[in-house]
Amino acid sequence: MSLAEALEFFRWSILAILATGVAAPTLGGFLFLRRTSFHGLALPQFAAAGVAVGFLLLPTLVDLGAFGAVAVEDIASDTHSAHGYHLLFAALGTFTGLAALVRARDPLGLESARMAGAFATASALTILCANASPFGEVFVHGILTGESLVVGPLELATLAATLATASSLLFLFRHDLILVSLDRETALITRRPARALEMLLAVSVGSCIAVGTMSVGPVMLFGLLVLPPLGARRFASSIRAFFWLSSGFGLISAGAGLYASFWIDLPPAPCVVAAAALSALPGALFSRPS
Amino acid sequence: MAEPRDAPAVGRVVLELSDVSLGYGGEAVLQGVHLEVRAGERVAILGPNGAGKTTLLRGLVGLISPMKGEVKGSNSRFGVVPQRERLDPIFPITTRELVLQGAIRRLGGWHRGYSMADGERAGDLLAELGLAPQADLPLSHLSGGQRQRALVARALLTDPEILLLDEPTSGVDRQSTEVILAQVERVAREDGVAALLVTHDTRALQERVDRAWRVDSGTVQAELTVAQGQELQEPEVSA
Repeated sequence: MSLAEALEFFRWSILAILATGVAAPTLGGFLFLRRTSFHGLALPQFAAAGVAVGFLLLPTLVDLGAFGAVAVEDIASDTHSAHGYHLLFAALGTFTGLAALVRARDPLGLESARMAGAFATASALTILCANASPFGEVFVHGILTGESLVVGPLELATLAATLATASSLLFLFRHDLILVSLDRETALITRRPARALEMLLAVSVGSCIAVGTMSVGPVMLFGLLVLPPLGARRFASSIRAFFWLSSGFGLISAGAGLYASFWIDLPPAPCVVAAAALSALPGALFSRPS
Repeated sequence: MAEPRDAPAVGRVVLELSDVSLGYGGEAVLQGVHLEVRAGERVAILGPNGAGKTTLLRGLVGLISPMKGEVKGSNSRFGVVPQRERLDPIFPITTRELVLQGAIRRLGGWHRGYSMADGERAGDLLAELGLAPQADLPLSHLSGGQRQRALVARALLTDPEILLLDEPTSGVDRQSTEVILAQVERVAREDGVAALLVTHDTRALQERVDRAWRVDSGTVQAELTVAQGQELQEPEVSA
């Protein structure tokens, strides 16, 4: 397949990956500044677990008539027809995970251990439910390895609308969110609605992760949420520069990863993550210029 | 410079606590607190660690509701100078970006940004506090004293009726201490801003506050007077 043919054939997937490359690092930037980057790792895994649980429950729900006269095979063979269904379970998985991570906060410093435990549990649950489902194994395996980029206009529109809405809201409330994250008590004294702002951030991140997991898979989301902000932090001398650099690193990683994926014929998700890791490497190796 | 604002009349009571008890989870940390603060006054809040100074501050600004009694004035505009160690160094924030946070109540426009007037005023405050050369440097490049001055500039940009300063001179060089206290004195005198300074550093504040409260043994125990140019001392006659 020539590059032009690949661009034509995979255009919706390519656009979805580029859009995620621009927007995910912005969301990840807020997670980074709040020292909750692990959420960017754990939540996509919870979303994948949600999809796997959805597949496991699919035959039972079909038997109960939840989809009318549609057969399980029809839903399983046409992923587009079940987009809303999978999305619902991805969202359920993400927000269950988010609630668990919020509950995991404790003053004893066990938060990271609990998050790691939640991540391990979600990973195991994903594999177990996918294997136990007669229809979901291939699909979920594809999501996990980043091979299943079955993105059509509907998926792209859903992803673009979600990313655009979340990014716009976070842009609008950026100053409030930065203050709440940097100095919560001062934010409260100046009558910022800290809890509502934190909820806005959680819902924005959760929604993007649920939709993004269904479109580009959890591996690419891990990489794009966590790595570009990590690389940007070394070189950013202001908050504004930090978010621009994060987004720029994300877009370059997405473009470079896609290009590499085409030439070496490997799944795009690991290629994009490898490119993002390379973009974070100089920051890890060299100290920030003063 | 920004437009002059309506200054509160000096001497007017801006904060008043009547028989207030403050605490957490039904357990009182401070009881029977009677205090008042007038516009333009500078009050030092003294006391050992764990005595309840932070609880008192949280009660004054309305972060915790009184278990008993009444706090009048907790809805005032507060400018807060927290302990600088509370700011997470992971933030790549510049001095100017930090100071502009003081204008957060006045965000406007479709993009909810800071106004040009607030940008100019932030620049003026940075210059007044001797931080103009550091305005666009990351906060992490500043010394402790410079960071403290940046926090004071942020608090002043809130256009406060009451300034709360938590250990403003602790671990700060003499020059920064002088600049900070001179600014507090200026806004108290010119704008009628009341200032509450929580501190252990009584030596630095001796000549710079009008009176002091001592928080100890579960209440605000004694009200001290500080005459200009004299050491902190117990009032000769207490009501």
